[in-house]
Amino acid sequence: MSKHRAPFAAAALALPLAFAALPADAQQTNLRIFVGGQQRPDVMRKILDLYESRTPGVRVAVEVGGATSDQQQQYLNTVLTSRDAAIDVMLIDVIRPAQFAAAGWAEPLDSYLGSERDAVMARYLPAYREANIVNGKVIALPYFADAQFLYFRTDLLEKYKLQPPKTWEELASAAQTILKGENNPNLRGFSTAGAPIEGTVCTFLVPMWGAGGQFLNAQGKPDVGTAAGKKALQLWTDLKASGVTPANLAEIVTDRIRVDFQSGNLLFAMQWGYAWNRFQNDADSVVKGKTNVVPLPGFAGNQPATCIGGWQIAVSAFSKNKAAAVNLLKFLSSPEVSKMQAILASHLPVFAEVYQDPEVLKVNPWFQFARNVVVTGRSRPVSPDYPEVSEIIRTNINAFLAGTRNADQAIADMNTRLARVYR
Amino acid sequence: MKATKKYQLSKLERDERRLGFLLLAPAALLLAAVVVYPIAELLTNSLYSFRLTRPGYRFIGLENFTFALFEDDRFLHSVLNTAILIGVTVPGALVVGLGLALLANQPFTVKWPVRLGLLLPWALPLVFAGLIFRWFFDYRQGFVNWLIELAGLTPPQWLSDPRLAFVALCVAIVWKSSSFMALILLAGLQTIPKSLYEAAEVDGASRFQQFVEITLPMLKPAIVVALIFRTITAIQTFDIPYAMTNGGPGTATETMAMYIHKTTIDFLDLGYGSALATLMFLISIAATSIYLRHTRRDTGRG
Repeated sequence: MSKHRAPFAAAALALPLAFAALPADAQQTNLRIFVGGQQRPDVMRKILDLYESRTPGVRVAVEVGGATSDQQQQYLNTVLTSRDAAIDVMLIDVIRPAQFAAAGWAEPLDSYLGSERDAVMARYLPAYREANIVNGKVIALPYFADAQFLYFRTDLLEKYKLQPPKTWEELASAAQTILKGENNPNLRGFSTAGAPIEGTVCTFLVPMWGAGGQFLNAQGKPDVGTAAGKKALQLWTDLKASGVTPANLAEIVTDRIRVDFQSGNLLFAMQWGYAWNRFQNDADSVVKGKTNVVPLPGFAGNQPATCIGGWQIAVSAFSKNKAAAVNLLKFLSSPEVSKMQAILASHLPVFAEVYQDPEVLKVNPWFQFARNVVVTGRSRPVSPDYPEVSEIIRTNINAFLAGTRNADQAIADMNTRLARVYR
Repeated sequence: MKATKKYQLSKLERDERRLGFLLLAPAALLLAAVVVYPIAELLTNSLYSFRLTRPGYRFIGLENFTFALFEDDRFLHSVLNTAILIGVTVPGALVVGLGLALLANQPFTVKWPVRLGLLLPWALPLVFAGLIFRWFFDYRQGFVNWLIELAGLTPPQWLSDPRLAFVALCVAIVWKSSSFMALILLAGLQTIPKSLYEAAEVDGASRFQQFVEITLPMLKPAIVVALIFRTITAIQTFDIPYAMTNGGPGTATETMAMYIHKTTIDFLDLGYGSALATLMFLISIAATSIYLRHTRRDTGRG
């Protein structure tokens, strides 16, 4: 603020300050944490209530925004490019630490962790430890893990005496059998994200990895025009042609899959871990106790793959209360909070031991194998330009699923534009 | 210098002039802060490689512009998409808006229902209109496909077929913008003297002849004003496609403003985004000056 405006500002501030000065504890620290609508802000509030009761003098406000990872990031982009100090702590998607490090938006945590740094980081599952260390610096701490699984309707599979599919071929034939037998016009066989959103990146990468493909070639440059890349696209063509996927797959967003499954209109779903809790607990869920989860299918002869996801907590580089914010971060990224989240929200833990906790397993029996899925899950490409990488993949896959671009055109466009980013 | 020396201002005149500048200063400073400074900043950034995800701020001359105009298919495609939306929705909104204005200009005894109907779409935020129409054209739960199914036809996928998505977008934009057109045209209609129509009736002119010979020519200034406003906002079309298709399928319905938004806000490429925004700014200026030249000639003749 320039000097000549100071008197006005002082006058404007005088009144609230007079009231603020009245309470005895002048040491009150106010923090603000930004959480997306999909990361259970209600559960975050419960966790913060516990923190506030243990840490006198600290108050944490929750700011909720953005229904998707992209919308959350758009909001943070605006706040952080303008160097706004309003937000102290924020949840960021597992794909973002590289970008936050490059842009200088996250306060590196190394100096705050001091000599404990390596011991602290060693507690986490390896994928999450690595995701949060960029160029040797700790950019954020893991909050919860996530991965994509295959959700299925146990009642329908039992009715037709079918086993949960291990390959895409088995999935297609099981879905066709059940769709035919049920003859329910609202029932769809399998769904995954197809709209131009972040989740659609995994719709391409998962079957590509599952067919043995890599995103980067031996020279470290992106190439999706491999046999595996083509096989991945062929899978979606086949599933669409056989009527297993909804005709409007190109319009499907992540949470729409949850809603369709929850209302009993979906047999198989490629979905993140968060949905489990909603299926079991939501009042309008008709699939309570009729749902189970297995690892995503692969192609016969290849190792199945999954995208790892999950949310990290970072301290804003522009926060005015960094020390208090780091303390909050240490609490939020502790085994204790990980367990609370697992029980209250079925958020997958970032600590190996929490998967074996009996109380956690009672609520989430599927966590027994979930750990192996998370450990073997793959990371989406790591790049400070990830938003552009993601956009290139998702718009092409969306156009491909909508039928406006064929496989060759989609692959050619992805490779041209990806080469420009990785130049 | 000599010319100014010849005529010396009196003390009173100089004081008045100083007062005049003093009184203008706040407005000029405000304009400089909110208009001149951002535009200067935009023009400067457009000449730099300036990407928040990569270190450095490097002068690269016109490279951003040459890339946009000669190499970036996606930008040219977004210009084409915007042009299609302008070409359909500006005349579309004019026709629908004129119809609404003529309806509202009828001597109804109770005027408010028609006027409220005119104002409501205009008062609704653009994103809401986009979300409402997205639901309207939804494949499985949409109103339009419900009607089509009732008629026994196969419902199409409005928002994931590029052509149908354009149809859906145009319907939404025309619905949203024609009420603004109608408001301007209604104001124009009410300035036309009743005596002209009375005279025409005496001469035996039909209602249609009255419309062509009196209403349209008298309404021309209002039409031009409405077209200028509508075209400029149409060049900047963002909210409705953003909410309805998000540019999809693929990038088939992406407009210029959406691509600029993506480049700057999502990719954090401020240099290239500024260049694209500069190009859009130039297109807006060009469109406005064409209209303005047209109106100037018009008033000169009249």
